[in-house]
Amino acid sequence: MDDQPVMMFRDVVKVYPLPAGDVTALDRVSFQVERGEFISVMGPSGSGKSTLLNLMGCLDTPTSGDIYISGTRTGDMSDSELTNLRRDRIGFIFQYFNLFPLLNTLENVIFPMMLKSQRAVDPAKGRAVLRSVQLDDELFTHTPMELSGGQQQRVAIARALINDPDILLCDEPTGNLDSKTGAGIMELMTELNRNGTTIIMVTHDPNNARYSQRIIKIADGRIVT
Amino acid sequence: MIFWEIAKRNIRLHLLRSTLAMLGIVIGVVAIASMGILGNSMVLAVSDSLRTVGDSVIVTPHVGGGSARGFGGGMGGGPSALTITEQNFQQIQRASVPNVAIPILQTSDRMTLGVGKDDIVATIYGMNPDDVPDLLKLREGGYSRANSGCLVGSKFADDNNIKVGSRITIGAEGDKGTLRVTGIIEERGMAFDVSTDSAVVATRDWFDNAYNRDDYDKVVVKVKNLDDLASVKTAIENQMNKRDKIVDVLDTRKTMETIFAAFGQITTFVSAIGGISMIVAGVSILNIMMMSVTERIKEIGIMRSIGAQRKEVMSMFLYEAVILGVVGSLIGGALSLLGGYAISSMMLQTTKYLFVPSSLVNIVYGVSFGIVVCLICGIYPAWRAANLSPIDALRHE
Ligand SMILES: Nc1ncnc2c1ncn2[C@@H]1O[C@H](COP(=O)(O)OP(=O)(O)OP(=O)(O)O)[C@@H](O)[C@H]1O
Ligand SMILES: [Mg+2]
Repeated sequence: MDDQPVMMFRDVVKVYPLPAGDVTALDRVSFQVERGEFISVMGPSGSGKSTLLNLMGCLDTPTSGDIYISGTRTGDMSDSELTNLRRDRIGFIFQYFNLFPLLNTLENVIFPMMLKSQRAVDPAKGRAVLRSVQLDDELFTHTPMELSGGQQQRVAIARALINDPDILLCDEPTGNLDSKTGAGIMELMTELNRNGTTIIMVTHDPNNARYSQRIIKIADGRIVT
Repeated sequence: MIFWEIAKRNIRLHLLRSTLAMLGIVIGVVAIASMGILGNSMVLAVSDSLRTVGDSVIVTPHVGGGSARGFGGGMGGGPSALTITEQNFQQIQRASVPNVAIPILQTSDRMTLGVGKDDIVATIYGMNPDDVPDLLKLREGGYSRANSGCLVGSKFADDNNIKVGSRITIGAEGDKGTLRVTGIIEERGMAFDVSTDSAVVATRDWFDNAYNRDDYDKVVVKVKNLDDLASVKTAIENQMNKRDKIVDVLDTRKTMETIFAAFGQITTFVSAIGGISMIVAGVSILNIMMMSVTERIKEIGIMRSIGAQRKEVMSMFLYEAVILGVVGSLIGGALSLLGGYAISSMMLQTTKYLFVPSSLVNIVYGVSFGIVVCLICGIYPAWRAANLSPIDALRHE
């Protein structure tokens, strides 16, 4: 399994059927991602970057073509198996943080752990991960509403990391942060990648793309590099 | 579990609307439970006063002209011009073998209960001394075989301060003679055969002499084996009403069953009205659950994207419905006890029928129904939430 690419797309097409006519968001996209890579996905607005990332994260299904994660075709997996795959192997970081408003910082972070263990979990690991993303201890019991954007994004990253995923998918992770905070987040991701996490990051920002080892350029639903 | 915690917090976050929805459930439970309690208390109250065991067949003269005499006749109103002759009685007795047929005479008359006291009017029964112990139990004193003796009902004794040994002078002018009370009959309530609580029971011979009678007002057949009730009734009817309808025959057990069935139907009907209020409450639960799902589509999308299973999302919303249901229903259950107390003491002037299992079980029904309704009304919204596509939910703004 280790010699398989972490992620492989084969002629993936994604068409959104709309009343005004079908929109082809991805058109026969093929590529693969090796274990431990740090990849930026770049391209103009509407070119299909988010669509690509959602397919990688098994949140959506392709109209045609095949997606393999570590050699397993996702089309052969049930909803429940895909859910467990997301829970155990994939971490998501969104542009709009997407924390749970009803849970405090620490609870947000250990939520995926609870999903995995199906019972109460030791919050110690949650605290450790929060500290590793440089969040102050006093913020652990705050609700997301009481945090700044940069703090919220670090909580979101901690949540994405808590189950030790081997793939991290980020859609504009610094899109809502100032450049200094954004740079801090990018340093953090580089550190994670150095420790073996495969990272695929959608970004508009060439400064962010500098941190990655490879750039996939996409335009009108096709890979152009 | 964390989903339980989230459900609780969401209710707390929307405390006002959750409380309002719960209020509906509270009202529904109170309506169902207190209606059930009221119905059951009424049945108990009636069966308490109708204490006859359903073990006899009552034969009364048939009232012609199509106007059925029915229940009222059995309850022993005034004396009737129609009677059962000695010959009829013999036929009834033969048809009832091996059970005993007890002939009963009945009238009402003026009587004086002591020197200087006002006259009162009361029912007087005439019965064979041999038959009396079969029908009447005594509270104090003894049965009398002498024609100068009589028994009185418990209420008659209590109201008029009559003791064993007291004397009662019968007739407007005291012309029917004086009887000495030898025993006081146990309370019997309203009965189909003889309602003795406020009456005097004299011997048949005395009655025949005093009122110049050679016939009967009513015949009571005590049926030893209850399974024979219907066949005894039929035998008497076949014997007596061959050509013309001479007598009405009433099977007390059947009649009681009919009365209780009617009460049961009334209770069911009234509880059904309570059930409608519960359905209305259920709709409001459905409504706030749908709101809760719609507001949190994005949150559901995030949960699904980080690995929450459909059934976990579903459970989160079901917990919410269950919390609303359980809390609302339990409050409703507690209030029904108060409501039942209030209604019982208002409508029945007593609460002794409230604290019995057959009444209290209505609270259990109401509470369970409330919880089940909430659960059912939570299922659809929860199912909707669980089956949102993760990506559509995540994109939702
Ligand atoms: N749910 C949807 N329904 C219909 N069309 C969609 C949907 N999502 C995306 N599209 C269309 O698919 C194309 C690609 O969209 P996508 O969101 O992948 O672009 P993007 O590269 O992420 O853009 P941006 O940089 O603005 O985020 C666009 O033309 C968009 O209009
Ligand atoms: Mg996008």
